[in-house]
Amino acid sequence: MKVSLDICRRQLNKFGEELCGDTVEVIYKEDSEIVILADGMGSGVKANILSTLTAKILGTMLKNGESVDECVETLVSTLPISKERQVAYSTFAILQVFHDGRAYLAEYDAPACLLIRDGQTVPLESSELEIAGRRIKEYIFKVLPGDTFVLMSDGVTHAGLGSVYPFGWGRTRVGEFAAVLSGNREMTGDRIAAEISGECDRLYSGCAGDDTTVVVSQVMARRDLSLFTGPPKSKEDDVRLMAAFMEMPGVHVVSGGTSATIASRYLGKPLRPSLFYDDPEIPPTAELEGIDLVTEGVLTLNRAVSLLKAYNQGDRSEAFYKQLDAGNGGARLAKLLIEGCTHLTLFVGQAMNEAHQAAGLSFDLSIRMQLVDRIARECREMKKTVAVNYY
Amino acid sequence: MTITICIGSSCHLKGSRSVIGRMDTLLTTHNLKDRVTLNGSFCMDDCANGVCVTIDEDHFSVSPETVDAFFEKEVLGRLNA
Repeated sequence: MKVSLDICRRQLNKFGEELCGDTVEVIYKEDSEIVILADGMGSGVKANILSTLTAKILGTMLKNGESVDECVETLVSTLPISKERQVAYSTFAILQVFHDGRAYLAEYDAPACLLIRDGQTVPLESSELEIAGRRIKEYIFKVLPGDTFVLMSDGVTHAGLGSVYPFGWGRTRVGEFAAVLSGNREMTGDRIAAEISGECDRLYSGCAGDDTTVVVSQVMARRDLSLFTGPPKSKEDDVRLMAAFMEMPGVHVVSGGTSATIASRYLGKPLRPSLFYDDPEIPPTAELEGIDLVTEGVLTLNRAVSLLKAYNQGDRSEAFYKQLDAGNGGARLAKLLIEGCTHLTLFVGQAMNEAHQAAGLSFDLSIRMQLVDRIARECREMKKTVAVNYY
Repeated sequence: MTITICIGSSCHLKGSRSVIGRMDTLLTTHNLKDRVTLNGSFCMDDCANGVCVTIDEDHFSVSPETVDAFFEKEVLGRLNA
């Protein structure tokens, strides 16, 4: 089975610091995804430089296919030595998940990565090797869709140290916390990362005692979503487009009145628009047997784009999720795109809606093409595989 | 009797939501909910004359300002005919 890794992170800076001493680097390769978390010694600028160098060197070398041995040797001879402490030091963890399900994990002095499967933490077998005088823990195993990995800096395990917990939150408790969350179907990697980081912030009473980073990576089976919007330039292409569209596996969405009518004709099923307005600005959705979501066109797509954009800009507020979880077509489409799809295929008809052109509306309805481009761009930024077919 | 109101992009921008809301209110106050069905449509191919409304097979152009008159004339007129 083809899998990919959905990688989400949260960071809290040590109280009073402008820079974070932890660095996360994510590498997308042809055959795998790699997550690197490095925690530089100390805090502030020095820690930031150490962890950035560590993560970047590891990332660049691994991307070029070099072995972990070579990476560590390079690190040891490259990292600047602290004047104060006479050591060059940054912990790191490397998680690599191949699209065929194999996985590789290497850790140097970092809190051990958590693997959560079916709502339980699963112990992983490791072997220890010594490279350039450093003891590295190495794990080789297989992943399953739904597996959740939690990589963290010690700022997470130390949260609440000396106040709520004598020795901090601790890896075991973090694992229990994450395992409970992962049992909830609504909990995506991003939401789990937000919950863990939020809990750290509470345990630190808003003043983190150390740089605190959590990276939640979820193994996703390939999930296809196909979106048909806009009638083809030539009517003869209606059938060709619909045949290709319906042949796609996974979720099918149709956006646009004329497009929905074409789909309804092709499928031989009635189109049943609802009159219920979840949001006064977005026209209601419709029911059509064989299609998972049928919406109006440009106004709905416009709403979806603004949600995708907010997500990419890092908005994870409660208000944002409330909007994303809303019942209007735009939110439903955005939610499917953000949380329910790894591969997006767009079927875009390029006919101009002459009725729209003639209607003299204040809102420019010919912007469908721009909206489609924006959807493709925002989804690519989320590292989804996007294909666009024009008709 | 079935009244179909377009909720497509163009008609939406011309006020289909308030046409639907007003129509629903009028049907309720006149106690006609069991005699008249309200339906949505995605496009009636006449966007320039929105909000597009049909009563059974006949086409009309209605705006939020003309709903009451339309209701009086076409809906009540036909029901009482």
